Parts: sequence; C-alpha cells; structure tokens
Amino acid sequence: MRSTVHGALALGAWLLGAPALAQDAGVPDAGVSLEEIEKALAADAPPPPAPSLPQAIGAVVQSLNPDLSLIADVALAAMPGGERFGAGAHDPARTGFNLQQLELAASAAVDPFFRFNANLVFSKFGVEIEEAYATSTSLPFRLQLRAGQFLTRFGRQNSTHLHAWTFSDAAFALARVFGAEGNRGVGAELSYLAPLPWYVEAVASLTEADGEASARSFMGARELPVRGPADLQLTTALKQFHELSDAWSLAWGLSWASGPASTGYRNRTEVYGADLYLKFRPLGDDPTVVALQLETLHRRRQVPHGVLTDWGGYAQLSWRWTLPWSVAGRYELGTPEIGGAGALDPQWVSARQRVSAAVTYEPTEFSRVRLQAASDFLGWETRPRLSAFLMFEVSVGAHGAHPF
Amino acid sequence: MKRFTKMKCLFALFLLAPLSALAKPSVVATTSDLGSIAREVGGDDVEVTVLARPTQDPHFVDAKPSLVLTLSRAEALLLTGLDLEVGWLPVLITSSRNPKVQRGAPGYLDCSTLVTLLEVPTQKIDRSMGDVHAGGNPHYAKDPRNGALLARGIAERLAQLFPDKAAGFRERATRLEMELKAKLAGWEAALKPFAGTPLITYHRSWIYFTRWTGLREVGQVEPKPGLQPSAGHVAQVLQTVRAEKVPAILQEDWYAASTSELIARNGGAKLLRVPGMPGDRQRYVDYVQQLVDALLSGLKR
Repeated sequence: MRSTVHGALALGAWLLGAPALAQDAGVPDAGVSLEEIEKALAADAPPPPAPSLPQAIGAVVQSLNPDLSLIADVALAAMPGGERFGAGAHDPARTGFNLQQLELAASAAVDPFFRFNANLVFSKFGVEIEEAYATSTSLPFRLQLRAGQFLTRFGRQNSTHLHAWTFSDAAFALARVFGAEGNRGVGAELSYLAPLPWYVEAVASLTEADGEASARSFMGARELPVRGPADLQLTTALKQFHELSDAWSLAWGLSWASGPASTGYRNRTEVYGADLYLKFRPLGDDPTVVALQLETLHRRRQVPHGVLTDWGGYAQLSWRWTLPWSVAGRYELGTPEIGGAGALDPQWVSARQRVSAAVTYEPTEFSRVRLQAASDFLGWETRPRLSAFLMFEVSVGAHGAHPF
Repeated sequence: MKRFTKMKCLFALFLLAPLSALAKPSVVATTSDLGSIAREVGGDDVEVTVLARPTQDPHFVDAKPSLVLTLSRAEALLLTGLDLEVGWLPVLITSSRNPKVQRGAPGYLDCSTLVTLLEVPTQKIDRSMGDVHAGGNPHYAKDPRNGALLARGIAERLAQLFPDKAAGFRERATRLEMELKAKLAGWEAALKPFAGTPLITYHRSWIYFTRWTGLREVGQVEPKPGLQPSAGHVAQVLQTVRAEKVPAILQEDWYAASTSELIARNGGAKLLRVPGMPGDRQRYVDYVQQLVDALLSGLKR
C-alpha cells in the first residue's frame, strides 16, 4: 500500500515537473550548468514582499472605480411675502424645509487622453444630468476639448455648482437670461491657453440650444431641427488672470453667446457678458479672505417686429475674517426690456432689484451652515418680497478640486 | 499689407513665447521642501519653480490660473502626494493641458513613493477622524533621512527624463546625501540629551521629525487633523502640558498662534513657531538646521 502511495506521488511529481523539463529541453547549451543559472536567477529575484495590513487595505482600496462624492443641500426657509420670484431651479422656493439638491459627483481618468466628470442632481421629483463630459488632457498646441453635457463657461458663476457659491441661490440675472438651471447643453467645447506671460484662455463651445437650461433666451422647451451650426448655441469667452501680488489676484473675462430664439423664424438672441473677480488672501497665519465678484449681462433678443434689449448683473462682496466664519453681501439688478411694448412678462416693463446678506459657518471644508436673507424689490409690486433661509450643506467622499 | 505684417508679428510672438520659456527644462514642485531638494539636484540643468508659497499651508492653496500656466510649461511635476494637494492640484493638472505632467506620465513624480511612510491606516478611516490622509502621513520631508531618499529619487527621475544630464543629477544628489549624512551625526548628537522629551505640536505634521529626533509627541493643539481647537480640547492640552511638564509647543508659522500662546503661557512651555517649509531659495540642509536650532533653543531650560 505504502509503495503504491509513493509511486503515485512520484508520478505526480514527474507530471508537475514535466512542463519545466519540456521548457528546458529546448535551451541551447550555454556552457553553464542549469543549477548555476537557477542560482543566479534566484539571487537576482526580488525578495517576496512581506504581507502587511496596510498593503492588504491598499489592495482593497485600489480600484478603477471613479472617485465619488455626495453633496446634500437642505434649507429651512421663511418667505412671508410669498414665493420667491424667478428663482434658480435649486433655490429654496417656499416656506418650510426644502431639499435644494443632492449632488452625486463622479470623476476619473478614462485613459491617458481623457478625464471624465459627471454631476447628477437628485431633487424631490427626479434626477437630472447636470453635467457629464469628457475633457482631453493631451491635445497638442495647448488646446483642450470638452464633449458631453456641460455648463457653458459664460461668465464666472454659470459654470460652477451650488456648493461652490457664496450664496445659496442663483443670481437672478443668470436665471433670467439662461433659465433656472443656468446655461448648459449637449455639445463640444474647445479652449486654448495662450503662450503669453500671463494667463489668457480663449473658449468656444457649440451646444444644443433647446432644453430648460437654455430657456428664456434661446429655444427653451421648443425642439429645433438642427440644419446647420446657426441652429446651435455658440458661446465664446476670453478669460484672463493677473497675480497682482502673493495676496491679491484678479480674474476677469468677456463672454458672448449667440443662438436661435423661439420668438420667430430665424430670430436670434445674443448675450454679452463681462465678469470680474478680485480676491485678497494674505499668506501666513492670517485667515482673512476678501473677494469681490461682479458680473453683468446684456441681452438682445430678436422678435418679429424689433429687438428687445435688457441688462442684468450682480455685485457681491464676501469677507472671511476668522475661521470658520464669513459674511457676504450681494446686490442684483435687472432692467426692464427696451422695446417690450405690450409685454406679457412683468420683467419686461419694470426693473427688479434684490439685496441679500449671508453669514456662513464652515467648521471644515466638508460641512457648512449659512443664514441668508434677501429683500426682493420687484418693480411691479408695491412691497418688497422678503425671504430668509438657513441652509445646511454636507459633503462626503472624494470631491475634486475647484477652479479659482 | 500693414495689417498682414501685424498679423505676422503676432503669430511670431505666439511661436517664440514658448521657445523662450523652454531655455532650460522646467521642473515644477508643489511645495518648497521638494523644490529646494530638486533645485539642489537639478543644479543649472533645470529651472525649478514651486507652486505653493513657503508661508502658505499646502493643504489650502488657491488653484490660481497663473499656476496652470506654470504647469503648462513644465517638463516634470514633483508632488508630495497622499492627497496633501488634493484640494488644488488635480484641477491645475487637468487645466494645464500638458501631457508630460499628467498622472502616469514619466514627468509625474509622486515623491511619497520614495520614502517609507508613517501613519498608513491599518483600519477603515473616515472623516469623523478629521481630515486624515488615506495613504499615510504626507509630512515626510521633515525627516532629513527622507531628504536624502528624496534627493536620490528625484535625481533618478530627472536622469530618466533628461539622460544627457544624468551624471550631473546623480553627482549632485550624492553630494547632498553626503552633506546630510555628515550633518545628521551632529544634529543627532545635539538632540540626544532631549530624547523622550514630551512635545506638543499644532497639527500631526511633525511625526517624521519627532521620530527622527526621539522626541515624544504627547498631543496636538488641533483636536483632530484640520479641526479648529475647541475650548474643551485646549483645556485638556493644557492639562497634559502641566502633567507631563512639556517644555515646548512646536508649530508651523502658517497656523494662528493665539491658542498655542495661551497654552504655552499657562502651562509654562515655550511656543516654537518655525517655518513650515524652506524659504524661497533656502537650502534644504539650512532649513533642517533652522528646525534643529529652534528646537534646541526651545528645549534648553
């Protein structure tokens, strides 16, 4: 019995060794014994890694999944003068608790040539794709391509998300011109970084002109058969940055958007924008941050018997004097539309002004409480509409860095 | 015709601007500790630029477009890694449009891969523990023994990128290694009498330094990494300072001082505010010397 077992083991060993022998059979005679070669190979081989707990954790954490983060914004609002007028889609809209949004952000490298970013926004009644686009990282001539659905880089605030704003609602000048979601669309964007001593970036994008996020100026809900580039929204922007000193920074830009309007056959809308951002943030242990942000928009809308023009804009100043507190004030203005006789929309005939103030408490980069109040002077109403809300924001996961 | 000439001039300017910038290969470091070592190793063969200012907390740097411009011209990027720069560097890299410094490219060197790391989590972490780094503690350059490893690793990567200048990089790295080795003996001898001395730091950014110096870190002014000190925590730290007879509180000069001053004053300790990074053009060796001198002056009664 014992000899049978020995025989089986010997057969097994021979079978296991057979492939190695087969491999070695073809090795030419190098004048060195196989033992010597094996000894040399063993000496050169790296020592087997000692398994450790950190490595074990690393192996679990290491994955090709995108970085994910969730950001929730909720607000307790009081609006004694009635609902807010012409608000952004994610502003607190009525008295009581409001779920402003739950944002799911994902980002990852696609391959050595592209990165991918997606921001899905969940609200009480559904999900929307706020952004989902790929960005090139390796195009020649300092060019960069973005393709997918994205917020256009018109002005300063439009391309940013709620959690990056100084206030917890959209500036109405933007909502009034581009719609409650800000200006975005499916399309492609090409940008160029000029090889100059200071930062100059030129941006041009072509996007679909329909959908809620192009409402009020472009096609809005009306679907347009695209017959040529003129049926798309063209957005161009020139962005510059000057580092005035270690503490002072100045960014400014000029933007222009043009696209088909829903007011009539071959009617078009053009929007001109200018923005400025001046920031003071001293180095060292001084937590002070002061930022001034201005944005103005001028819109020209073709209608069957003329052109409607209006202006809108805002100026906001924020000041963080100590950690974790900051305050901010904002003034917004929207002019009535010139050429808007027989208007259906009260904004066409009367000006609107809004003044807002906010106090923000930010214990870490990942949570924030903000008390914000506003007085909205609607030209067609006798009393201002007052509103106040207490916003709470939390962010978890690996959220990407924000641009300046 | 005149217009055409103008256009030609403008076109020439666009073409020449990058050429003039490329007179020497540009190496960009995120922080000045890496920048200082790279400058020494690179010598006259490369131009080293540092993104964060030396007096700026590297956790919180503004992603200024001017930094995008710097990175767009870089041949190599040296970063601390371990998510120290996660709040600002990724957007700069993507916006730079520069394939040479994208993650995975030979020009992208995560310097945390060159040293043995401390505080690599051995259990599941989350942000209830504060702003902890999932890959380990990123403040490894404060140990001069790691400085020598960084010099060697940076030299090897530069040698790979610019093979014709490899000998120079390796030679200068060896010189820095030798200098550090020579200095280490003196520093260690001077600090030896203080081995085991308790110390309070502001942030958990000194663990590599205290491991090297043999000092015993018994607490931080921050209750958890990245959190502002609370009254209760400060009282607790003060109690530790008194109970352990802590002689000094060590902190980078980008952290506010009033809380630490209060603890020092009431606990009978000295507050040592030191530069968190080597200054502009300061040699890494001189920076370590400055830290050691500051520590010795604080520990001597």
